Amino acid sequence: MSRLLRANFFRMVKNRMFWIGTVCMALIGTLLPFAHYQMMIKEDYPMYIDNGFFVGAVLIGILLAVFCSLFLGTEYHDGTIRNKIIVGRTRSAIYLANLITCIAAGFFMCAAQFILYLCAGLPLLGPFQMEPKTVLTLTLCVFLLAASLASIFTLVAMCCQNKALTAVICILTAVFFLLFGAYLQTKLNEPEIYSQYQYVNDNGEIETDEAAPNPHYIGGTKRKLYEFLFDFLPGGQALQFSNSDVKNPNLLMLYSGIMVVGTTGAGLAAFRKKI
Amino acid sequence: MDYVLQTNALCKKYKEFKALNGLSMHVPRGAIYGFVGKNGAGKTTLIRLICGLQEPESGEYTLYGTKNTDKKILNARRRMGAVVELPSIYLDMTARDNLKQQYQILGLPSYDGLEDLLKLVGLENTGKKKARNFSLGMRQRLGIAVALAGDPDFLVLDEPVNGLDPQGIIEIRELILKLNREQQITFLISSHILDELSKLATHYGFIDQGRLVKELTAKELEGLCRKCVRVEVTNMPALARTMEKLTIEYKIISRSTADLFAKIRVSDLVTALEKEDCEVISMQEHDESLESYYMNLLGGGSRE
Repeated sequence: MSRLLRANFFRMVKNRMFWIGTVCMALIGTLLPFAHYQMMIKEDYPMYIDNGFFVGAVLIGILLAVFCSLFLGTEYHDGTIRNKIIVGRTRSAIYLANLITCIAAGFFMCAAQFILYLCAGLPLLGPFQMEPKTVLTLTLCVFLLAASLASIFTLVAMCCQNKALTAVICILTAVFFLLFGAYLQTKLNEPEIYSQYQYVNDNGEIETDEAAPNPHYIGGTKRKLYEFLFDFLPGGQALQFSNSDVKNPNLLMLYSGIMVVGTTGAGLAAFRKKI
Repeated sequence: MDYVLQTNALCKKYKEFKALNGLSMHVPRGAIYGFVGKNGAGKTTLIRLICGLQEPESGEYTLYGTKNTDKKILNARRRMGAVVELPSIYLDMTARDNLKQQYQILGLPSYDGLEDLLKLVGLENTGKKKARNFSLGMRQRLGIAVALAGDPDFLVLDEPVNGLDPQGIIEIRELILKLNREQQITFLISSHILDELSKLATHYGFIDQGRLVKELTAKELEGLCRKCVRVEVTNMPALARTMEKLTIEYKIISRSTADLFAKIRVSDLVTALEKEDCEVISMQEHDESLESYYMNLLGGGSRE
């Protein structure tokens, strides 16, 4: 497999989408600290490096969707995957080499954002307010999120032989994850009780409404399911990381690991029957 | 005989369609094996099976003596190269990068021989030009160069001259002949451009409806296709006697028809036969090409 990896990395560094993705992440890492610094100066509002350090988690899904679908789709489109099989490389080795390449691309893009954010953010915004251990844990979480996204897109790209269709499916999947994650977040953020509040009526009198239960509040088993999906699916995870609001990072890492193993197992089984 | 590839009763179905129906063929070492058949006869399916792109439903094949069910078939495949359907090349890469990519897939320790390979296929001056901007002939030659990386001694080409202009066809033909003569590479070439194939092949296999109808050497085919005079006579034993006397090679086709393999003077022949009480009813030159042999064997028409 090392030969396939070497060949894949050779192609990756020549791939335009890989560099576009890396530049996008690098721009976030560079421009966001400057934007936060400007805000801090103009509004006299305290901004920390913590704000937005993990915001790249939201974008990495879209960038990996485009990269994986085009990078792997080319193998079918140009027929080059045949060259690997004809010279005796196994389907499992081909699949795993492609998966590792896509994960590495995701890691590289994330690393570009983190490193440039640190380089620009530390001098402008000062050190982290979070514990170093929390920063490291969340950083690891984002890398694992990138790995789980790469494994999902690898599964799609290796099972669908149409490059254009692969790109459409991957991008729509990435957008769906984010939209569904935002929907879950909105639902889960509904307060259980509307607290007591006062307002001025039409006659100019102050009236007080008592606290009342929120009919949109989701409770019971449905809430548990929503919470699970918010933690398990990459879209929900991305939103949690971008807000640096993660209650149980270890659980999220476990879910990302399960996603990688699950999609890779399914992908390997499906790819053995392909071509 | 030493065979590079042998297949035995190979079967492959696509839903209800039998693409291969008990196909058995033999590709001798050093041969240029022309694999001839109509569209949909099963040529590409066989190539896909031996390249490992698909698995047969039944039957078996051996590559360098290794059975397809043996795990060592993967090692045997490293000794072969193939261009299946379209040339498998990265269109957004240069010719040089495409070859480097294949060298890495093969695990070759260095790029030694890469320039020679480019020179061999006439792409040494393509520089930074992407394969996307190559002509079809250049892409085909690059596809062959990629297949040649790792020095295989068996090359499988599926319709290698399809869509090429006359110049491209000549270039591919010369390349195949050069590789066969100078590097003793065995070729399996599927094609339905019979005239072109007849300029290359040393062996032929004719496939129809997933079965090998006939397998023969170019020499045998030449024997079947050589020029002759077909005569229709009233007395076949008399004709036979006369031919024996004149030491002319002949072949009896029916009770009244025979092929005579010689340049004969019509008046002499008619006179000699008259003496044996035999009349000549008709006489015509008969020149069977690969194309007419194919038409006689498989019939015309396309399955597409």
